Amino acid sequence: MSVLLEVKDLSKSFKLKGYWYHKRTFCALSPLSFTIESKKTLAIVGENGSGKSTLAKILVGAKTPSSGEIYLNGQLLNNQHFKERCQKIRMIFQDFGTTLNPSLTIQQLLDEPLTLNTDLDETERYQLIYTTLHKVGLLGDHMNFYPHMFSGGQKQRISLARAIILQPQVIILDEALAALDPSLRSQMINLLLDLQQQMGLAYILISHNLGIVRHFSDDVIVLSHGEVVESGKTLEVMRNPQHKVTQKLMMSQNFRLK
Amino acid sequence: MNLLDIRNLSIELETPSGRVRAVDKVSLSIKEGEVRGLVGESGSGKSLLAQAIMGVLQDKWHVHADRFHWRGIDLLRLSIDERKALLCRDIAMIFQEPMSCLDPTTLIGAQLSEAIDTSQLTGNYWQRRKQRKEAVIKLLHKVGIKKHSQCINSYPNQLTEAICQRVMIAIALAGRPILLIADEPTAAMESTNQGQIFRLLANLNQFKNMSILLISHDLENLTHWTSTITVMYSGQFVEAGSTEQIFNKPMHPYTQALVGSSTKANLRLPAKSRLMTLPGSIPVLQHLPIGCRLGPRCPRAQQICVRAPKVTNFHGHKVSCHFPLFKETNKKVSVKGKVVKGSN
Repeated sequence: MSVLLEVKDLSKSFKLKGYWYHKRTFCALSPLSFTIESKKTLAIVGENGSGKSTLAKILVGAKTPSSGEIYLNGQLLNNQHFKERCQKIRMIFQDFGTTLNPSLTIQQLLDEPLTLNTDLDETERYQLIYTTLHKVGLLGDHMNFYPHMFSGGQKQRISLARAIILQPQVIILDEALAALDPSLRSQMINLLLDLQQQMGLAYILISHNLGIVRHFSDDVIVLSHGEVVESGKTLEVMRNPQHKVTQKLMMSQNFRLK
Repeated sequence: MNLLDIRNLSIELETPSGRVRAVDKVSLSIKEGEVRGLVGESGSGKSLLAQAIMGVLQDKWHVHADRFHWRGIDLLRLSIDERKALLCRDIAMIFQEPMSCLDPTTLIGAQLSEAIDTSQLTGNYWQRRKQRKEAVIKLLHKVGIKKHSQCINSYPNQLTEAICQRVMIAIALAGRPILLIADEPTAAMESTNQGQIFRLLANLNQFKNMSILLISHDLENLTHWTSTITVMYSGQFVEAGSTEQIFNKPMHPYTQALVGSSTKANLRLPAKSRLMTLPGSIPVLQHLPIGCRLGPRCPRAQQICVRAPKVTNFHGHKVSCHFPLFKETNKKVSVKGKVVKGSN
């Protein structure tokens, strides 16, 4: 299996207020490296403020890294070239209620990434939106609906449709499953796993819920205060947690693998 | 003895197009010293039920019940003022977002001392001030805040969410309640903080013999902390029983789906396999199905399900379904008998 996304020594630090000679920096993410193959899922777990979301934002291009390189399919991703990155790396957010523009219909919402990133004409775009909606378990008629007409689970499906409509290779799920109700969450997990098999997607899953991490991911990275404290195969890490932070996380959720 | 005994409680909402039953004939009983979990997804009416118990619903909601007893006293016969006085003394409630429930413009110490009733203080009026302060510090120690002076002199925004929730619990404890209703006390909290809050509640239950009604939308978070669980779906009673019964031998298709969809309960399942789910989504309040509200999503639904099922009791394991699930074979006969009776 070829390596899809490779991250080398990525780090991020913020400048804090200070005088000339007392310039201080806050290290949100100390250098870290990892690789993902297609059809694999990498989970990132950690407490609040451990740099999980910072990492996601850097990968998707919303923030620029202080140092380090990101390679997609062996090619270096520049910070300036957003177009390719937008197509290949997509993100789904936690709060499904506020990520969709309430004044646009679903068709307009899904049309936006297509007009910005592709050269398809109108009928082709319409066809693509139609098939994508079917892929995520919605109907073509839903195109003319507004976001407020959908329930929470369906809204999250629409964000997923918006993510996969450009045929991406990597999808970042930033707590995308946390706010859903349990029965809808399992539907969503099944859907994500199916799509992963069909489209060969790689997921980066950011989650608190170790049960989901266990079920969903192949590899795991445990972050604490911007540093990688543990990484490896999910099952191995969870069977035998080495670092105190991992143990504490598992203890707090009464999580034990045999 | 049952502390709280509610039978067939319904809550109706007045709307322009007639009354909508948000909560439909739910029964709930809490014994002394038990931790009961109330599980339901969003829109299942669990928060409404808690608010109805406290009597803090707005006027547009209408509450009916066949029985509403608190420690043997029939609350329906009392006047509203008497009822409020009784419930305020015995029941306390903590809410979902501690930050937004505390007054942002008042110091924590002042908010805590406000909650302490004057009747708890002994001594003359010149001693009261000191006693009140001591009582506040004692309360903070009870909920595990050691740096009391720092906490007393800070505003809610200066504290973390977990500490705010502890302060909320301290305020709730000030009235020395017999029952504590915790409405999603750990929502939007980190897992390490969640554990702290749950452990604190468990300690209070064990050492003070305080009963707790723990409301949550997630079954898997609750199982470790509760002794009995009631499950609700879309305003209807689904199933009630001990935690082991609910988790290991669910009788209702909905509970089974909840347990089956939980990733924590299915650790033996190979990673990346399909989880069990129910099709469809939760119905909205304007378009509720008739009869059993799970009907359109239920894999075992049949024609009879358009009528609401009655609650049946199997050794303390109550279930509200026409076709409950069984593991044992000898009980199946009784189900068949019931089905025949129902169809006649």
